[in-house]
Amino acid sequence: MTAAATGPETRRDHYDAVIVGAGWSGSLIAGRLGGQGWRVLLLEAGEGGTESWSGHLDSVSTYRSAVAKVPNSAYRHNTAAPSPDVLDLSPKKGGGYTADGYFVQDGPLPYRTDYLRALGGSGMHWLGAVPRMHADDFATGTTYGYGRDWPLTAKDLEPYYEEAERELGVAGDAAEQRKLGVVSDPDYVYPMHAIPRSHIDEHCRRIDGAEITDPMEDTRTLHVTGIPQARNSTPNPAYDRKKGYRPKGAVGLPNYGERCVGNASCVPICPAQAKSSPLRVQADLPENVTLLTRRVVTRVLRGQDTRVRGVEYRAYNDPASSVSEARSVRADIVVLAGHAIENARLLLFSELAKTSDQVGRNLMDHPTTLAWALAERSVGPYRGPGHTSGWEDFRFHGKRGERAPFRIEISNWGWSWATGAPMSNVTSALGLGGDAGGTVKPDGLLGPDLRRKLGDDIGRQLQLQIAVEQSANPKNRVTIDPSRHRDALGNPRPILTYDLDPHTRDGVYAAYRVSEKIFAALEATPYTDHKPVHGVPQLGHFRHRETDLTYQGAGHGAGTHIMGEHANDSVVDSYQRTHDHPNLYAVGCGSMPSIGTSNPTLTMSALALRSAEQIHRDLAALNQPVVVRSAAGEKEKA
Amino acid sequence: MNPVPHPVPGEVVRFVDLSVHLTGFPVFDLHATGMAEMYLDTARQQVGRSRFDEFLKALRKACAPRLGPAKLEPTDREIARAVTYLWYTGAWPRLAVAAHADLRREMANREFVVTPSAYTEGLVWSTFHGHPAGAKPPGYGTWSIEPAAPPSLAEIERECGLERKDATDHPTEEHRQDERADEAAFAAHRLPGPRVARDVPPSAVPTARAQEPEGNPA
Repeated sequence: MTAAATGPETRRDHYDAVIVGAGWSGSLIAGRLGGQGWRVLLLEAGEGGTESWSGHLDSVSTYRSAVAKVPNSAYRHNTAAPSPDVLDLSPKKGGGYTADGYFVQDGPLPYRTDYLRALGGSGMHWLGAVPRMHADDFATGTTYGYGRDWPLTAKDLEPYYEEAERELGVAGDAAEQRKLGVVSDPDYVYPMHAIPRSHIDEHCRRIDGAEITDPMEDTRTLHVTGIPQARNSTPNPAYDRKKGYRPKGAVGLPNYGERCVGNASCVPICPAQAKSSPLRVQADLPENVTLLTRRVVTRVLRGQDTRVRGVEYRAYNDPASSVSEARSVRADIVVLAGHAIENARLLLFSELAKTSDQVGRNLMDHPTTLAWALAERSVGPYRGPGHTSGWEDFRFHGKRGERAPFRIEISNWGWSWATGAPMSNVTSALGLGGDAGGTVKPDGLLGPDLRRKLGDDIGRQLQLQIAVEQSANPKNRVTIDPSRHRDALGNPRPILTYDLDPHTRDGVYAAYRVSEKIFAALEATPYTDHKPVHGVPQLGHFRHRETDLTYQGAGHGAGTHIMGEHANDSVVDSYQRTHDHPNLYAVGCGSMPSIGTSNPTLTMSALALRSAEQIHRDLAALNQPVVVRSAAGEKEKA
Repeated sequence: MNPVPHPVPGEVVRFVDLSVHLTGFPVFDLHATGMAEMYLDTARQQVGRSRFDEFLKALRKACAPRLGPAKLEPTDREIARAVTYLWYTGAWPRLAVAAHADLRREMANREFVVTPSAYTEGLVWSTFHGHPAGAKPPGYGTWSIEPAAPPSLAEIERECGLERKDATDHPTEEHRQDERADEAAFAAHRLPGPRVARDVPPSAVPTARAQEPEGNPA
C-alpha cells in the first residue's frame, strides 16, 4: 500500500526492514523482501501523486509549461524535501560559478548533476539507457593503474544483470551486446526486441569501419552500436526459455504505454509511460510492504554495540512549507536507498560508518562533453528516444590508462542540450533579443524566409553526447556543516567539493578531438563551441592542453559510500552492507568503486537484487518465522 | 450583414491575417493551433493594448508588398519578432533591453510559456516535419524513417499566398543548394550558439560564432 502523510500512519513501530528512499534500489529491495514475507516499511522523502493517471498528466503539463525543459522540470519544487536542480548553477564573469540551490558547492569546478526526491526518485526523469558494465571496467586499478577495483567481477554480476533486465523491462539486441563483450551467455536474449534505430543512427552508420586516432595515438575502428533500453518495444517470444515476456505499461491506466510511441521526451517524462520507472515495481508491492511518502528521514538511530535500531524521520503534509512532525521507527535492518549524495549525508549526520573515513568521498559522475554539427541534409532530429545508438569503440582497453575512456552517444534530439534548440533556432533566425549591448538587432528573418531557414537548419542537427569515465578520487566529496547549512526542515544540506583530475580531463580532451574527426568523416559542419561567451566562461569550462573544453553533468552521481573488501578503506562490503554496522546497508550508485562508461542504473539495480538476497539471509538468521513475529508485533503495539 | 456570425472575432481574424506575414504559415495552420485569441491577448498584455494597436497598424503598412525587419522601427521590429516567437514556440520571449525599456513595461523581461497547450502548438516543429517533444507522438518506430525534405521557399510562399513574381514553381535540389550557398557568409549568426548555463532561456541564447578551419571556434 502507498499512503501520503494524510493517510494512515505506520501501523506498527517495528519492522523487519525499513528502507529509506523509493527509487529503483529501494523499490526493488522492498519488492523482493515483501515477496519473501518480511514486513517492510519504505519511506520516501518526496511527494507521490504520479502513481495515479491524473497525477501523471499533471507532471506532463508541468513539463510542457517549463521554459527550460531540464530533468526536474516535470516535478514541482518541494520545500520539505528539496532536490538539486541543474538550473541552480550560474557561471561568473571572471571565471568560477555560483551555486544557488540545495547544494552548497565549494570546489574548483561545479558538480553539474541533479537528482529527484519524489516517489520513484531519479528513476522518474532518467533516460532509460541500460548498458552493462564491461569486465574491463571492474579492475582499472590493477589493470591500468588508476581508480579503484571492485570486490566483484562482471561474471559475479551477470545473473543479477539478467534479473535486473527482467525487473526493469529491457529491450535490446543480445547478439550485438555479446559482440561488445558485455553479455557472455551465448543463449541469452533480452525480454524485448531492440528499440528500432533512428534514421540518424543510419546516417552515422555510413562511416562504419572508419579508423579514428585519438590524441594519445589510440586508433579505433568505428561501429555504430545499439544501446539496450528500459523502454517497451516488441516482446521477444524466445525470452526466458521461450516463456516470453509481458511488458508492463502505464501505472494508473490499464493497457496503455506497452510500447514506445516516440514522444521524444524520455528525459524528463515519458507521457505514454513506455519508459520503465520504479512506480511499476511499487504497483506490485504486496500488503506486507508499507510505502509512505512525505517522510524525510533525518538520521539513523544507533542501537546496542555496533548495530543500528531504526530511523528518525519527519512527516509533513504540505510540500510548500517546513511544518513537520518528528517520528521514529525501529527495524531489524536499515537500508539507505536514497541517492548517493543523500545516503552520504545521512551517514555523516548520523555519525555512522566512520572507520574508513570514506563516507562522502570519491564522488563521481560521467562528465559529458557535447559536440554538435550540421549534416549536409535532413537527418530527422527530435524523433524517438534520446539516443538509440552510439560509438562504443573508445570505452575499453587500449590507452585507457593514459586518458579516461568515453562512450559516444549519438543524440536523436538535435542541438537541444548544447544550445536550447529548436527554440533558440527561432531566436537566432529572427534576430530576437538584441545584441550584447541590448540594442534591437537590425537584421533577421521573418515570414516565409524564416520558416524555410528553420526547416533547413533544424532538420540537419547532429549532436554527440560523450560521457567520460571519472574515477574515484577521495578529494571529490560530500560533507555537511549543520551549524551553517541546513534546509527548511533543519536537515543538513550537502556541501560538495568537486574537480576533474588530469586523467579525466585528458578523456574529455580526447573525446572532443575524436568528435571533430567523426564530423569530418561524416562531412558535417562542426559548430562545437566551448569558448567563453561575451567574456563569460561557460559553466563547466576549463582549459586543457591549450584547448577550451566544457563538460555537463550526466545525472550519474556515485561513489560516496564506496564498496571494498576492507573496513579500513571502504564503507560497504560487496553486499552493500556497512563494514561497521552489521544491520545497516547503504545501497545504490554510492557503493560503486568505478562506473566505467555505463549509465549506472542497471548495475545499481543488479547490486540491489544481490543485496536483497543477503538481507533476506540476514533476516532469516535474526528472526523467528514471520507468522510468530507478526503476532508479537501486534501485541507490542497494543 | 452576414446572417451567421463568424465563429472567430474580427480582431482575431485580422491578427491571424497579419501573422501569416510574420510566420510564413497560412491562415489555416494558424487558426488550427487554437491559440490565436490567447496569443493576441498575451501580446496585448505584454506590450500594452494601445501600443499593440499601434504596432499592428505599422505592421499592416510594412507588409505591402513584402515584410522585412528593416521596414519596421526598432521597437516595432522587436514586437514583431516576439509575436513570431510566440507562434513558433508558445512562449513569450525575453526582449532586447532597449525595446523593453522603450515600452516602459511593468512586468519582468523574462521568457514564459503561455500555457502547456501553447507549447504543444508551437509552429517550429512543423518547419522540419517534426512534432513537439513530449506531445503528438508519431508512433512506434517512425524515427527510423527518412524524413521528408522541408518545403522550398517558393512552396511556402505559394501556400501563404505570398508569391513573388520571380519565384520558380518547382525549385530543384540544385536551386536549394544555391540558396544555402548564398547564406553561407552570414549563416553562423542565424544559428544558436552555446548556452553559458542551463538556465539561459531559449530567447536569450547567443548566436553561433563562425568556425575556424582548425575546428575550435574563434
